[in-house]
Amino acid sequence: MSDENAALAWLGERIKARDSTSVFLLAPLAAFELAFFVVPFLILVRMSLNEGTSSGSYAPGWTLGAYGDVLGSDIYRQVVVFSFELGVVATVIAVLLALFYAYAAYRADGVRKSILLFSVILPLLTTLVVKTYAWLPLLAPNGVLNDVLLALGMGHRIQFAPGLVGTVVGQVYIVFPYAVLSIYSVLTTMDWDVVEAARDLGASRPRSFFEVVVPEALPGIAVATVVSFAWSVGAYAAPSQLGTGEQTTFAMEIGNLMLTQFDYPVGAAFSLLMLAAMLAVSLAVIRLLTGSIGGVESV
Amino acid sequence: MAEVTLSDLTKEYGDLTAVDALDLSVDDGELLCLLGPSGCGKSTTLRMLGGLETPTGGDVHIGGTEATDLPPYERETSMVFQSWALFPHKSVLENVAFGLKMDGVDGDERRERAREMLDVVEMGEFADHDPEDLSGGQKQRVALARSLAIEPDVLLLDEPLSNLDKRLREQMQLELRNIHDEVETTFVHVTHDQNEAFTLADSIAIMNDGEIEQVGEPREVYDDPTSLFVEEFLGDTNLVAAEAAATDGGVRASTEFDTEIALPVSEDAVSAGDALTVSFRPEDLDVERVDENAGAADDASALTGTVTDVLYRGSSVRFYVEIAGESVFFERSVGNADFDTDDRVRVSWNTDDLLVFAGGDRVGGGTP
Repeated sequence: MSDENAALAWLGERIKARDSTSVFLLAPLAAFELAFFVVPFLILVRMSLNEGTSSGSYAPGWTLGAYGDVLGSDIYRQVVVFSFELGVVATVIAVLLALFYAYAAYRADGVRKSILLFSVILPLLTTLVVKTYAWLPLLAPNGVLNDVLLALGMGHRIQFAPGLVGTVVGQVYIVFPYAVLSIYSVLTTMDWDVVEAARDLGASRPRSFFEVVVPEALPGIAVATVVSFAWSVGAYAAPSQLGTGEQTTFAMEIGNLMLTQFDYPVGAAFSLLMLAAMLAVSLAVIRLLTGSIGGVESV
Repeated sequence: MAEVTLSDLTKEYGDLTAVDALDLSVDDGELLCLLGPSGCGKSTTLRMLGGLETPTGGDVHIGGTEATDLPPYERETSMVFQSWALFPHKSVLENVAFGLKMDGVDGDERRERAREMLDVVEMGEFADHDPEDLSGGQKQRVALARSLAIEPDVLLLDEPLSNLDKRLREQMQLELRNIHDEVETTFVHVTHDQNEAFTLADSIAIMNDGEIEQVGEPREVYDDPTSLFVEEFLGDTNLVAAEAAATDGGVRASTEFDTEIALPVSEDAVSAGDALTVSFRPEDLDVERVDENAGAADDASALTGTVTDVLYRGSSVRFYVEIAGESVFFERSVGNADFDTDDRVRVSWNTDDLLVFAGGDRVGGGTP
């Protein structure tokens, strides 16, 4: 035990001292990042500067032509706009639902708490493709939801999926567990006394939720928002399985460029532009959400 | 300001009865301390008063109106929590103004009133601080100001001083008293600390096992405990098991001291053979050193024994005396502590000062 503590203390000292030992400790991580992120990223950058050819693939060269093709295309612009729309809609729905769900899980105890948390983790154990496809028989024109609505007196069948509704539902379903867990982990640090104090001072239940619980959960909400948004803008599985051609996201378009049209330079340029855009938006979201914790709200 | 009446108040959690058919009334403007060991149901009682727990039986009246099922935000009570429960994402001023904001008081007025209240608790200069930057004592003051700002009819305090160190706690006890005198609000203060209850209270309600054992002014409760539990809980005392003996010409009892002692009990209160507990309060014992070789000059209100242990307890010294195998203690102030281990001493008392209990209830002794 004391040996272990001594070893840990030594390790801490080494890392603090920033000497060669700490470099040694970081080496495996650095090697991993280098091999699986930095190198492929640089290959992508290089590829985006090559010239496209009409026969597919690319001709080696140094040109910004691929970037011009991406930025000048109306179709790509529509695809990007739809990607961001899907990102915003899916994120707002998922984070709102997750906030209430996480609060319910925080408040529940015993078996009920276990059930709520387990049912959010369980879908993570299933393959994304399978569980996304499972929505199709539910939302299709001859699916379960339509049967129920017809039985309830609705006049005609609606095609929820394939289509926009199916895409949004599928995407929300994919990111929901991550949003719940992000918010729940922050809520567990909240002292229930604080909510009781708010109620005691005259705040109704909804009011105490917005005045006290939401500010406490804000760091979790920020994480949930960024995760949901980043994932939803780059959605692939939900729109390709539950959408029609109208629900094409940039991820699907890049896949198409790379794997079907073999237009590597344009695909690479498109990827890099979207990466830059996502980075900017994510940073802005984090700044927006964490900045408001500091007390801009009125007394 | 309002009087509070709890009648037949009960709270059960499954098979566990936390509060058992409790009756209690608190006068308008009174500072009542609910005193009891942990787990006795005092906090649960307070939380039912504040609406944070729903009683399973009985009712709560505040200011003459029924409040049993009112949610906390609809009753004119305010709670100071043991953890203080300050809102971490609001400034000190925002914390204090919170209740007024919920009441719909407009911005300028609530800020002004919150500042005034912060001045009352001497925290005015910390208005713009984050609660997390404050010390325990400062948080406690802010929590108090936050509760007082809404001018509640009844202020509920759930052991708010128990997380403070001793010196600060004693200082805050005096300040709480002064604030109580200033605001003239009814206070119900929960504590497990007898000294705190004696310092603060207009009246003390001693709770045990979900029930009220005794209610009264501090002096009255101390001088005239009605049960063995109260006697044990209020202070350190020597409790000695005894058995009632002859009951003609005054009750006497055989004790573990070997010698029969006289008890201040009327003859019809006990019968021979009853098991009794006798409390010898240390402050009622007279002790003098006797010659080592003197024979035991014991009688019905004096015993001889040997000092076995001397414990220094800061300003006072506690002496343990062994009398016929039983240990009895008394205390002296440090300057007056002239006994040593192995001294032979004679311990005597005034029979009327003994407190006698049978089956947990008092049957005699003390002030009549």
